Amino acid sequence: MTTLALTINGGAQGPREVRDDLTMNDFLREYLGMTGTKFGCGAAQCLSCAVIVDNPDGTSYTSPTCIVPAKSFDGKAIRTVEGHAKNGELSALQKAFIAHFAFQCGYCTAGFLNEAQVLLERLEKTPVARAELEKTIAEALDGHICRCTGYIKYHEAVRDVILADPKRYLV
Amino acid sequence: MKSETRFQTLVSVAALAVSMHAGYAASQAASNTLASPESFSSIADADARSAAMFTELGKVLTHPRCVNCHPAGDRPRQGDESRLHQPPVERGIDGHGTETMRCSICHQKANFEPGRVPGHPEWHIAPREMAWEGKTLAEICAQIKDPVHNGGRKVEDLIHHIGTDTLVGWAWQPGFGRAPAPGTQKEAGALVDAWVKTGAVCPAR
Repeated sequence: MTTLALTINGGAQGPREVRDDLTMNDFLREYLGMTGTKFGCGAAQCLSCAVIVDNPDGTSYTSPTCIVPAKSFDGKAIRTVEGHAKNGELSALQKAFIAHFAFQCGYCTAGFLNEAQVLLERLEKTPVARAELEKTIAEALDGHICRCTGYIKYHEAVRDVILADPKRYLV
Repeated sequence: MKSETRFQTLVSVAALAVSMHAGYAASQAASNTLASPESFSSIADADARSAAMFTELGKVLTHPRCVNCHPAGDRPRQGDESRLHQPPVERGIDGHGTETMRCSICHQKANFEPGRVPGHPEWHIAPREMAWEGKTLAEICAQIKDPVHNGGRKVEDLIHHIGTDTLVGWAWQPGFGRAPAPGTQKEAGALVDAWVKTGAVCPAR
């Protein structure tokens, strides 16, 4: 057993005892009831289970949760799909996903959303040229699998959010 | 053909098939072990003995547990089938993954069996100049002796690297669903030691 304490969507969770073999996905879904994070392939190959991890230096990255032990998140701050909307209002990315009909079954959406959010935050710190944008988006979303094949719509939705505020994300 | 003759022929064919199968099984078993340096003492010629010991070590060096992370390209491989790593990852600048997909995000400090993910504190892939994938044992041998391609090591340093380095040692404790490298790390280290002390001669092919 390991004592686990972390921050999820800005709120403290724990400390609480968890089994060493407990995955982060099971911790979120079964222990906390946060079922927005999906369990897909169980092998980190579809990334529907990805959450955002916030580094102390202000940078962020995504991590799968299905193959990673919960205890490895001790002391970390993470964000899940439940944390994107503020005061009942969807984020710009969420609105764009809906506007573009980016998802059908929605199983992959949390992973795509988190990955796109990390991309936005990265571009705020290190903007890219417009000519590099398509490649940048494609590379960021690469690895996320959508069985409903919404790839292009996800891509277009992310592009729209970035182009709506070019001074923020582009050089 | 009389029935008695036909029966004898069938028995002979069956016996031959069984013996071939047995031979194959024995060979398979041998591939999971490493011969000791002493077992090469019957080879009188020192160069030939040295090369033979490296060939034995080659069972480790060409094993998926080693080659998967000594890839020819920028993507590691995985599994006993050495398929391309999924999810798609790349070496990045330092061999620890790209900026947004570091190896350590999934690979923890130790194997995590519920996720079937191998782990080690220093999990990363070997530098591009240390690629072994697709190379002959002779090519790997020449490369492993070349400081430009072995991380600036002397051949003597390889005794420690292969014999005691804990990331290399993971190859013998790879976790569920992955075949361990042949023999033991100690046996592999003994082979490197003996190979170096006999001149570190490379096999012809």
